[in-house]
Amino acid sequence: MKALRDNLVLAMLIALWVGLLALIAVTQPDILSARTLTSVLQFSTILALVSIGLGLVVLAGGAGIDLSVGGVVSLSAVLAMLAQSAGMPAQFLPVLCIGIGLVLGGFNGLLVTRLALYPLIVTLGTFYLYSGLALALTGGAALAGVPDWALAFGRGKWGPIPLPFLTLVIPVILLALLIVLGTAWGTWILAMGNDDRAAHLSGIPVDRVRLVLYCVTGGLAGLAAFVSLAWLGSARPNIGVNLELEALTAVLLGGVAITGGRGGLTGVLAAVFLVVTLKTALLQSGINTVWQTGAIGLLLIVALLANRFSLSKG
Amino acid sequence: MKTLAKALMTTAIMTLPLAASAQDTPSVAFVPQLIGIPYFNAMEAGGNAAAEDLGVEFVYTGPVDANPLDQLQIVESLLARGVDAIAVSVLDASAIAPLLATAEAQGSILFTSDSDAADSGRPVYVAQATDEGLGNQIIDQLVERVGADAKIGIVSGEATASNLNAWIGFMNARAEAEYPDLELLEPQFAGGTAERAAQLASDLMAANSDLDAIIAVASSTCPGVAQAIETAGKIGEVMGAGYCSPNTAREYLKSGSMGFTVLWDPGALGYLTVWAGKQLIDGTPFEAMNEVPTFAAPVPYDAETGILLLGDPFVFTAENVDNFDF
Amino acid sequence: MTLQLGREATLAFACACAVLIFASFAPAFGTAGNLTAILRNSYELWLIALGMTLLMAMGAIDVSVGVVMGLSALLIGKALAGGLPLGAVLLIGPLAGACIGLVAGLIVVIGQIPAIVATLGLFGVFRTVIFLGLGGQWLSGLPDTLTRLILWDGLFAPLGLLVIAGANLAVWTALRATPYGVHLLAIGNDEARARLMGLAVIRIRIATFVISGALCGLAGIFYVAIYRNVTTTIGANIALEAIAAVILGGTAIFGGRCSLLGTLLGVLLLRILQNGLLLMGVPSLWQTVVTGGLLLAVLISEVVAGRLSLSRRRRQRT
Repeated sequence: MKALRDNLVLAMLIALWVGLLALIAVTQPDILSARTLTSVLQFSTILALVSIGLGLVVLAGGAGIDLSVGGVVSLSAVLAMLAQSAGMPAQFLPVLCIGIGLVLGGFNGLLVTRLALYPLIVTLGTFYLYSGLALALTGGAALAGVPDWALAFGRGKWGPIPLPFLTLVIPVILLALLIVLGTAWGTWILAMGNDDRAAHLSGIPVDRVRLVLYCVTGGLAGLAAFVSLAWLGSARPNIGVNLELEALTAVLLGGVAITGGRGGLTGVLAAVFLVVTLKTALLQSGINTVWQTGAIGLLLIVALLANRFSLSKG
Repeated sequence: MKTLAKALMTTAIMTLPLAASAQDTPSVAFVPQLIGIPYFNAMEAGGNAAAEDLGVEFVYTGPVDANPLDQLQIVESLLARGVDAIAVSVLDASAIAPLLATAEAQGSILFTSDSDAADSGRPVYVAQATDEGLGNQIIDQLVERVGADAKIGIVSGEATASNLNAWIGFMNARAEAEYPDLELLEPQFAGGTAERAAQLASDLMAANSDLDAIIAVASSTCPGVAQAIETAGKIGEVMGAGYCSPNTAREYLKSGSMGFTVLWDPGALGYLTVWAGKQLIDGTPFEAMNEVPTFAAPVPYDAETGILLLGDPFVFTAENVDNFDF
Repeated sequence: MTLQLGREATLAFACACAVLIFASFAPAFGTAGNLTAILRNSYELWLIALGMTLLMAMGAIDVSVGVVMGLSALLIGKALAGGLPLGAVLLIGPLAGACIGLVAGLIVVIGQIPAIVATLGLFGVFRTVIFLGLGGQWLSGLPDTLTRLILWDGLFAPLGLLVIAGANLAVWTALRATPYGVHLLAIGNDEARARLMGLAVIRIRIATFVISGALCGLAGIFYVAIYRNVTTTIGANIALEAIAAVILGGTAIFGGRCSLLGTLLGVLLLRILQNGLLLMGVPSLWQTVVTGGLLLAVLISEVVAGRLSLSRRRRQRT
């Protein structure tokens, strides 16, 4: 019973997901196909990468949040393509994307840890800065010229599973779970989220951990930028628009407490897949897209309310 | 409240999935750049009329924001639903291209309408007018009204919209080639919101006291630009113009804050799109000149570029605007 | 209530510097027409940021304020187009806003969901409602009844400006002359302790959401008056702008510190910069970059200045 209560959000998400699938299976069995699976996974890729990073930052508490993730995705993609057209060899494209993401995320982290500024405010500023720069540097135009090998990587499939999902998202998930569950980092992150001061007193290098987490979030956003390049074939300065809201929705829906210390990556991933499945299902049953934003917003509120009231009862 | 109820009802009806009848009647879909704007709603209405005339099923669905990934997901879901022909008003040409192969593999047809992906190998592009024609027309009309030595500001929507940027490019080319004394200012980008457009237009007027006209390039910027001229009390001094639908511009044309707007009939474009989809499904090749039901004049097709051209855009003014409703 | 004279003086100084620089480089900047335009473009943001100041002083962030304004504007626009009497039209906006604020407040306070999360959800829901309410047709070229009212210049300033001043004065009085202000900041400082002290935490929090909602509704009236249209994207970016202005103004998020004057100046500085940069020929795409850079610069310089003075004081002591 306790296990259920601890994983209530996860259980609820999975139940919702199964319910959704059952509903589809009854009403429109054609939708359940390998192809839909491909589509769901492909469209989860960028959101999953960004949400994992954001989830870790929020988990670690200290009012941690990163509103700039969408801006990091756009700016990393744009800067990497600009570097390539300035003569950088194309094979460095993935490394460069991740590197730029790391730097941009690190800037957030430095401001948060060294200057002790509120993450929400810092990342609101860098959100404007990064997404504005991506647009201003390109004048809004998409930068073409992604090499063919990268395209195959972004659009290819292994069976029904898209290559970027197989080669990037799954390893990242495994690695993140391994680190969080298998090393001291997981305990540290949760301890920091529960009580920053106590964590510091018990000898956890709080600032360093937090800085690394912001860097990781930036790096993952850079990786997402590379996926967007390989998938779309061009760097779009607005590719990350609204991504921060979607990722935040996934993180919170996945049961991570906004104050930190409670929740886990499995919940976040379950939420990512639920959101993307819901969107795909709504689309494929021909429901007006207007309902998507409302449905996901409502889902967020209802899930949190349900969680809250079931907790207070138990 | 009534409208809300009506909207809810129409949505409910629209949500009914492609019925069993979809198996025998061919289906044509149109994916706009975003939904909820009058322009694409008019195209939807035209598409519905064509669907009724031609006996096809018409599906209209698009993203809530002009987001290329969302659009991609919608096109994929339409392919998965087995729609026979899908027309897309393309947001991102490079992203749409790979889907053509998917479509071909399953026997569906993917083509473009309203906004093109020229190098993707799409079978046909249903064009409202050429980008060049649109750019030229607005400059020519403006010069006719404010003179060839005027100073003109430009307020566009999303900086990332390639079709809007193409029009601006042709405006500049036209001014350079034909009217050396015409001064076109750097375009300003308002994003999608009307308040930003108004703010930019009012800043432009303040920055250039000798400004003669402002062109609202995106239809979402029209009300903002016209309103800014009106609020600044510059009616008669600064002329608003743009690519706006008559319903959006009506009050402003009458008040004089907009001198004229240029637009094709989006309803006719929607009709032509569905008609073209039907031709493609039937395997009927396009001819140089095509008779389309309800169209007064035949529609030209350029086999070399694969463009089906709706025809010249209209110029709406205070005098004729009441004859139109879209 | 700490009087944030430092930040307010800095902001006023920054505004003055910006005005001087822009006026000397762009002659058009200082014209009466342009200065009125800057004020006029600040109207809705001033009202929304006023409500946001209260929320943030209480430790809550509302990202749905823009669409709440949009929803009110939609109702106002429909009422105006439908020919309702002016009094009713004026009432609808704040009333609708207050009702929406009540809903948000109940979800946040009774449901115990952090405000930023709940309003993120509401943002999505309200956007859908606006879409459905408009039904694909924009409201455009609405009657100019409200326009004439808001821009009516019969007294010493446009009526709109007086209304904004009045709203600020009313809130300031409530903060200063009633226990509300102290309680609000106490909750912002430490909610649990405020509850232990016996403050009516629930009532105060809900009331603040209602006030903010009503101000968003009032902003809806200004929006319809000035722009005379309602489109589906209405208010999409305004929440972040309001948050930026409040932070610039020195209201401490989660810190129980609140400055109305700071917020007023913060909004003004944002709008002056946007206007002045464009007048100096900087493309509009750079404006967001400047907004972000300014926000970070203010925050960083404040911390650095604080540390410098701290270390100087330490040195003096030894």
